[in-house]
Amino acid sequence: MANPEAKSGSSLIMPGDATSTCWSCGTMRAEHFCSACGKVQPPVPVDYFTFFGLPRKLSVEVTGLEREFYQLSRKLHPDLYSGAEAREQQWSLEQSSQLNDAYRTLKDPIKRTEYLLRLEGVELEEQSKSATEQARASGQVKKQVVPPDLLEEVFDLNMQLEELRMQKKLGEDDPSLIEEIGRQKLELEEKHEALLEELKRDWTEWDHAVDSGSEEERRKIRDKMVDVLNRRNYLRNLVRDVNEVLESGS
Amino acid sequence: MAYSDKVLDHYSNPRNVGSMDKNSQEVGTGLVGAPECGDVMKLQIKVNPQTQVIEDAKFKTFGCGSAIASSSLATEWVKGKTVEEALQIKNTEIVKELSLPPVKIHCSVLAEDAIRAAIHDWKKKNGSANANAPVPAGSQASH
Repeated sequence: MANPEAKSGSSLIMPGDATSTCWSCGTMRAEHFCSACGKVQPPVPVDYFTFFGLPRKLSVEVTGLEREFYQLSRKLHPDLYSGAEAREQQWSLEQSSQLNDAYRTLKDPIKRTEYLLRLEGVELEEQSKSATEQARASGQVKKQVVPPDLLEEVFDLNMQLEELRMQKKLGEDDPSLIEEIGRQKLELEEKHEALLEELKRDWTEWDHAVDSGSEEERRKIRDKMVDVLNRRNYLRNLVRDVNEVLESGS
Repeated sequence: MAYSDKVLDHYSNPRNVGSMDKNSQEVGTGLVGAPECGDVMKLQIKVNPQTQVIEDAKFKTFGCGSAIASSSLATEWVKGKTVEEALQIKNTEIVKELSLPPVKIHCSVLAEDAIRAAIHDWKKKNGSANANAPVPAGSQASH
């Protein structure tokens, strides 16, 4: 028996396993409500894809997801259960919050991808730590997960941002520096866009591999997506910092 | 999140901020990043060619307080050590010294990576035979 309290990925219940019976009428229960008597059911710790009855694929049709979300949230709304049994009130509350988390995660392309990678056992920080330990043991230098030229670029732009911050503090903006940073910002945004397109191509490959790929193929695509997300994190932070500096105090 | 006193001290009063000439034969430069949070850290060492002692170290980090404190501490620790001694510094020692919480352990990992990268760069420049040594059999961490 899976423990319904457990939150770790390994204890997630697969769709086929959630086959208990309705607490109220005893027929086979459906996912959120009993298909026979319509009563709300206690939440099952399924992953977000399963919660929406979706396969673990990344090309999600967001309008359909949204429709499903609104339908379910109307039916699960705790206000509807104010006169029901205490445990039904509790379940509607829990299911509503599960629904909100699932929707927020799946509608966002990046959060959805990160979530799927976690479900697939990708632990970025763990991997980074064990790579460092390996480098220490072997006397090797650890391979950086992002290309060195991207690191250089990030570092240099940060230096310029720092200079501009300093200038702003002293009340003496240098127009040519602002112009230069503005130009780099446009480039960053373009790269950022391009990464999203790259990620979408990976989604298609992933979805295909879910149906017919080998474990090896899926692993390769997972690695590719991790790589895209890693690079994207830098760009996202940079764009955020650039905007912050350009908009501050001027 | 509350930072420890030592982190705050390094953060508000970082040691050895700055840069050295990366083209100098005696200088090794490590530029590393943690994509999870977008932090970048540059650490440089200046090594005495006779004694192999790290005589100076500088850093510049763009990141959170813990990343700045970890790299500031790293420069303090490597100074006066030989290159081989500096390679023994472990991220867990940085965690302990700065009382870093679990969510900030990656900052200490980054600092250890930066030390290694700087030493690697110096070794490469100075034609050290083992800068590119192959991974010895059996020493690979299991996954």
